[in-house]
Amino acid sequence: METSQVLLVFFGGLVPMAAVAFALGRRKALMSDASGSRMHSLPSQYGVYVATWMALPALAIGVVAAAAALFGLQVPSAPFVLSFALFGAAVGLMLAMRKVEPTLRARNAIEKFVYWTLFSASLVSILTTFGIIISILFEALKFFSQVSVWEFVTGTNWSPVATFRPGQETADSQFGSVPLFAGTFMITLVAMSVAIPVGLLSAIYMSEYASYRVRTLAKPVLEILAGIPTVVYGFFAAITVSPLVVEVADFFGLHASYTNALAPGMVMGIMIIPFISSLSDDVINSIPNSLREGAYALGSTKSETIKQIILPAAFPGIMAASLLGISRALGETMIVVMAAGLRPNLTWNPLEDMTTVTVRIVDALTGDQAFDSPETLAAFALGLVLFVVTLTLNLVSIIIIRKFRQSYE
Amino acid sequence: MRTRDLTGDNTQVVNVPTTERPRVNQNMKMKVHDLEVWYGEKQALHGVSMDVVENEVTALIGPSGCGKSTFLRCLNRMNDLIPDVRIKGEVEFENQNIYAPEVDVVELRSHIGMVFQKPNPFPKSIYDNIAYAPKILGQVRKRTDMEDLVEHSLKRAGLWEEVKDRLQMPGLSLSGGQQQRLCIARAIAVSPSVLLMDEPCSALDPVATATVEQLIDELKENYTIVIVTHNLQQAARVAGYTAFFHLGNIVEYSDTDSLFTHPREKKTEDYITGRYG
Amino acid sequence: MSQGITLAPSRQLKKRYRAEKRFKAYCIAALLLALAFLVVFFSDMIRQGYSAFVQTEIKVDVTYNEDTVKFTNESVTEDVSPLISRAFYRTIPRQVEANPDLMNTTQTRWLTATAHVDQYRKGYSDRLDPELKATLDRLESEGRVSYGFNSGLFFSGDSKIPSNAGLWSAFVGSFYVMIVVLVVSFPIGVATAIYLEEFAPDNRFTQGIEININNLAAVPSILFGLLGLAIFINFFGVPRSSALAGGLTLSLMTLPVIIISTRAALKAVPQNIRQGAQAVGASRWQAIRDHVLPLSLPGILTGTIIGIAQAIGETAPLLLIGMIAYIPDAPTSMTEAATVLPAQIYTWSGMPEGAYVSLTAAGILVLLTLLITLNATAVILRNRFERRW
Repeated sequence: METSQVLLVFFGGLVPMAAVAFALGRRKALMSDASGSRMHSLPSQYGVYVATWMALPALAIGVVAAAAALFGLQVPSAPFVLSFALFGAAVGLMLAMRKVEPTLRARNAIEKFVYWTLFSASLVSILTTFGIIISILFEALKFFSQVSVWEFVTGTNWSPVATFRPGQETADSQFGSVPLFAGTFMITLVAMSVAIPVGLLSAIYMSEYASYRVRTLAKPVLEILAGIPTVVYGFFAAITVSPLVVEVADFFGLHASYTNALAPGMVMGIMIIPFISSLSDDVINSIPNSLREGAYALGSTKSETIKQIILPAAFPGIMAASLLGISRALGETMIVVMAAGLRPNLTWNPLEDMTTVTVRIVDALTGDQAFDSPETLAAFALGLVLFVVTLTLNLVSIIIIRKFRQSYE
Repeated sequence: MRTRDLTGDNTQVVNVPTTERPRVNQNMKMKVHDLEVWYGEKQALHGVSMDVVENEVTALIGPSGCGKSTFLRCLNRMNDLIPDVRIKGEVEFENQNIYAPEVDVVELRSHIGMVFQKPNPFPKSIYDNIAYAPKILGQVRKRTDMEDLVEHSLKRAGLWEEVKDRLQMPGLSLSGGQQQRLCIARAIAVSPSVLLMDEPCSALDPVATATVEQLIDELKENYTIVIVTHNLQQAARVAGYTAFFHLGNIVEYSDTDSLFTHPREKKTEDYITGRYG
Repeated sequence: MSQGITLAPSRQLKKRYRAEKRFKAYCIAALLLALAFLVVFFSDMIRQGYSAFVQTEIKVDVTYNEDTVKFTNESVTEDVSPLISRAFYRTIPRQVEANPDLMNTTQTRWLTATAHVDQYRKGYSDRLDPELKATLDRLESEGRVSYGFNSGLFFSGDSKIPSNAGLWSAFVGSFYVMIVVLVVSFPIGVATAIYLEEFAPDNRFTQGIEININNLAAVPSILFGLLGLAIFINFFGVPRSSALAGGLTLSLMTLPVIIISTRAALKAVPQNIRQGAQAVGASRWQAIRDHVLPLSLPGILTGTIIGIAQAIGETAPLLLIGMIAYIPDAPTSMTEAATVLPAQIYTWSGMPEGAYVSLTAAGILVLLTLLITLNATAVILRNRFERRW
């Protein structure tokens, strides 16, 4: 049987069976009520109780079988699993029906079931984090068993030799990641020197100067910047901004590459403006008005109050916003894939082409290399570093924001 | 009466229709004439007139929402900061109507300081809290002068002994009473001539309240002080003059002793004897 | 008066006011800069992309007979033949098969021109064979050349022939991915939010989950691609390049968005609604199900739509799980190789022919229109149904 057919039979059978179980449980409760012994909960709650107990064993058997199949274990044939699930459902139904008594607190049982269902849903986010760590860690460890951590961290030459067959000789590959990180930081630097001033000053304007109307208009318009897909920014950077940078550089007698680091950096900065501005806006708004009044009462002008009272008070929050912005810039992929270079290049000149960590990850994993070639594994090693760095930035920023919120509550 | 004889050539006698004014002839630091304030559609002050006596403490009392804080905030135009506020009438200070178009509100506030209900030290060090305003106002340029000013202001606020060893600590690390005295020190560092205080002790414990009250008593030698208070005993203790506000009007305004011992209005009597409130 | 205080601004204060003005000007300039970028960006995309919505069409006589079914480019007169897109010739055998009456007839048709001709007519390139140029000019003077709406942009799949390339398979792929994201992340996200907001005890573990979710919202999207590749594809064996793999990966990315906005929506329901319901004997869950959830539904849906819109615009993780394959025909199931709108845009942006530049920009305009529509729906939903307490 096809997988989809099995699923169809499984769920197609389960739903009407649950309906029957519901009706049975409810009827028994109703009859019991009619005969004079008062039930603890509503009849329909007994129905839900019975239906749940019928469905759970069947679902559990189904999930175990599916998991076993995915792990490549020997699984009995589909009809067997289906009939076994049916059997489980029948047992569950019988036991549950027996328990439908006036003393059974069906409502509390449902409540408990709901609680554990919601709780398990909340574990998915934890599992996701673990999933990311595990998926990166294993491959990265494989990489570091072939290439020394020292070479990876300090080497200045990144030149993997593509291998298309597993186990092929890879002696002349070099995996020094310094130029990749240099490129990443250069582009991040350019991005942040656009995003922080523009984002912060816009936030100041909107929260301290703008009238209500201007604010309600400008805020969502600025948010549009955050909603533009990164692939679109990438195209814009590659097709419009890069040639512009080359032309401007030419005008000043400088040479710029068409895959220079400046163009993706600037466009990335524009993308990050709304992150900085909306977070800073929140932070500035949470500074209590009493501080502003205190400064005005001493004869400060508005800008003096902002520069010397509000901004220092809001500094932790602005700092946190900037860290989140940096984290985003470091991990941004499409803009650099489309507009930055592919050549690892250790330079201070943003007009040259530079490549980044994310570009190399994409390059390694979209090529035709064998999955366990050192270059693909190197992508996971780069991913690991990216994960650790952004995780640190995110955590620091989350903690700063929490502390900041508490101090002004 | 604890007044000094200040009768001089500058005696101002203004006929104020809706209210009493102090009987003793003294210098009037501020003269409010027919002040009306609206917040949006709601009128908060209905044509209040009142003179503020120089180098005295004037207390504003009355039930919540009677307009006393609104009135106080009109004296240094803090109400300008509230959107949708409309103000009519005149407030005369140094022979100028502070609501006249040529008056600069920033300049005005450097002459009329304010202390708020909740201590609001800036998130800076104790030193910088005080140095901030003299620096931006350009009053003090040399570092040694600034150090002297900080010391002097803290001494005036009675805080010097407690904080002289930790001037670089954040102002927020002080206790509530100390914070409020820091705010007073901060306000007097720019040498204003009037100090407005909006329930300065309401967030403080009794001991800190006593310290601040004593400080107010000392400060009146050099400053004209207007204080809003909920606490009738406090008004009786610190103020030379007291005005009783009710529903956006001044019901009675006279020297504190008369107001508390022989109120002329029934409403005042009800309020101070606790039958109203 | 004795001190002679004046309340007019002093010289020093005038200087401070100049600093004030300068600072305010910087702030306005920053905001205007950001807004100006938006204007430049949109006008640039429209400038580059609008022309791809129309295509050059040429009115020709098409001959159907034994020969032209075999040598399809002979169906049109020799001089015009190189002007017509190859995509048309391919369909001749199929046309005849579908409609045998066509055999041995000559039909007058408006046919799509080649990308070269189209680009030349639109003024993007002047490289056209002089002979073809002459033919084109002649046809033009006979009124046999005009622009027609490029319906292929919406209704055909990807193609190596630029005049024939369209977004249809990407639409279908994006739709499948959206369904997967909705089915997976909506229930889990809402359940997590209800747990955290309504049931969770305030302990270390709960705080851990919260911090974890905030962190996930900021983890670089490409790392989700690594997860999808290693876990969904390599470990669980979900077919590579499939909408299922893409949808599952994007679901995990969308989860934090839905959780965070659902929590905000739940938080906005005042506590006394819960207490009121519980006071009349409802259990905690009944109070939430019957009172809190209906009230917070607009907020939850708004957050979900915004999350979905984000997922639809996402590309980076999909590159890693192979959703940049060449997909000329729309997939018919979740497990077939598929592409999505942003991935299609990425693929086109890397094509060497100039015609793909306007196609890419046109694809971007379509994608942006879709996203703006979704987000506007979310905003309208919020403004319309949001209750302020």
